[in-house]
Amino acid sequence: MTMAATSHDTPVETAERPTRKQPDRTFWLLAPGALWMLLFLVAPILMMVYVSFWTQTTFKIEPTLTLKSWITFFTSDTYLGALWTTVRIWLIVLVSTLLVGYPAALFVGLFVKNKTLSTALLVLCVIPFWTSFLIRVLAWRPMLGKEGAINMILMKIGVITQPIEVLLFSELSVIIGMTQIYCVFMVGPIAFMLGRIDPSVIEAAQDLGAGFWRIFRTIILPLSMPGVVVGAIFVSVMVLGEFATSAALSGRKVNLLGNIIVTQVGSLKWAFAAVAGVVLTILMGAVVAALLRVVDLRKEL
Amino acid sequence: MNASGIKFGLGVYTALFIVFLYGPLVVLAILSFQTGPEGGPQFPIIEWSTYWYKHLFGLTPPSRIAPLPIDQALFRSLALAVMTMIVSTVLGVTAAQAFRKKFRGSGVIFYLIVLGMMVPGVLVGLGMALVANTLGIDRHWWGTAFVLHVVYTFPFAFLVMLAIFNRFDPSVEEAAWSLGVPPARTFRKITFPLIFPGVLSAMLFAFTLSYDEFSRTLFASGRDLTLPLAIYGTFSVEVHPNVFAFGVLTTLFSFALLGTYAVLMGLSVRRAKRMAIQEEA
Repeated sequence: MTMAATSHDTPVETAERPTRKQPDRTFWLLAPGALWMLLFLVAPILMMVYVSFWTQTTFKIEPTLTLKSWITFFTSDTYLGALWTTVRIWLIVLVSTLLVGYPAALFVGLFVKNKTLSTALLVLCVIPFWTSFLIRVLAWRPMLGKEGAINMILMKIGVITQPIEVLLFSELSVIIGMTQIYCVFMVGPIAFMLGRIDPSVIEAAQDLGAGFWRIFRTIILPLSMPGVVVGAIFVSVMVLGEFATSAALSGRKVNLLGNIIVTQVGSLKWAFAAVAGVVLTILMGAVVAALLRVVDLRKEL
Repeated sequence: MNASGIKFGLGVYTALFIVFLYGPLVVLAILSFQTGPEGGPQFPIIEWSTYWYKHLFGLTPPSRIAPLPIDQALFRSLALAVMTMIVSTVLGVTAAQAFRKKFRGSGVIFYLIVLGMMVPGVLVGLGMALVANTLGIDRHWWGTAFVLHVVYTFPFAFLVMLAIFNRFDPSVEEAAWSLGVPPARTFRKITFPLIFPGVLSAMLFAFTLSYDEFSRTLFASGRDLTLPLAIYGTFSVEVHPNVFAFGVLTTLFSFALLGTYAVLMGLSVRRAKRMAIQEEA
């Protein structure tokens, strides 16, 4: 039925399309998506910035502008401590995902010549990404606990006589958990960049007598840098916005800015939560901007 | 370079790396078969049993361990994932369709869309909670949480479709238009079958991401729990193997989705090949 109605006026439309209708059509195709993002992404973020200057009373906020919440944030040991913990955990996880992920990416992207095998290995690395994030976090509890799998194995082979208690409910467990969950985002981009290296370049270096380390330092590492930067951006944004891993594995010992936001919202301290959110946004923006300075991605990709 | 030695070393490393990725999930799966209700979430397995799976479905006599609140949560999570999947796929296809033509301001719009997958859930979630709080809107999983799920999954759908349209030969469409086929019909008969693999991928992304999403939901969904929120609720208390059993089931569900996707994808590729052969003959 609708088909007949549309076909009626088509000849005119097709004739006019390239000249007048085009910008119009683009506009209507984009409008719903762009509007959705403006209303439900940009507006909430702006609201967060705005509310951070509101006045916080015990259970509610009033739209009287003040710097009080900001002053409270930057004079409180709890908040500053959370900021410092966030930065520290982020740096450690960034380095550990790179160190853990790079060799695997090197093998998958450069050493496996068989395309099917390297794709299969990459898929194997990505599959956990499809399973529930919370379950993967929770899976570390029976691994790291006092009676957990790692302690049990270590005691059985006689490396230790007493279980290592620091494995779970500590900063270490948060770092281990985050490294495992996020290193996939490092491996993918790096393996992709390594896969694009022309093998003849490496062969030429070999023929001229360069050893592996020399080739690695002068060819492989520089050419993989865009992958490292992309991976670092992924990992940084996700780790800085984290709160679930520390909630599950640190036993409340590690408080990230994300955890502060969750607790503040829970106790209806909206203005404080907003301040923590804005600080987190600024931190994230600075980190991404700094990483983009390291390598000019547009030129390299 | 002594490539073979290094290659062997890196191969062994990669194998260990994969053990590192999968080890915890395997341990979790094994422990889900612990005996209950007295068996705890650790080794050794006292006796193999499916007690915790029965516990999950309320088939065991009441014990001191409360069952996970999953029946209603499962419905909500599935409904939310389907809603998110439909809306974000439609938005992704239309937006990517617009990007096939060059237009002014395309850079800004591109970053506006991609921002949705980059901004952490805790920030948009908080922002949305503040907006709802100020405007006096009640937060619900089907309202405030749903729009945030789309904010998160729409960029994935958009990027997938962008990649598909990049490899797409516009001359087939132009041929249809010049033969007087109306645009809506051209889309249905020509464009859509060609972009179908992309649409399928976008749908899989959107469904899975929404089904597992929880940081946005935590702030924006109000009182009613979705599945991930039910799991998150167990974080602060002692964990029992019933959560592990649930983890196994939900992982199997994700794999089943992935399998269905692979089968559908294979069928569509085969059909495309058959059509190509017919055309040649």
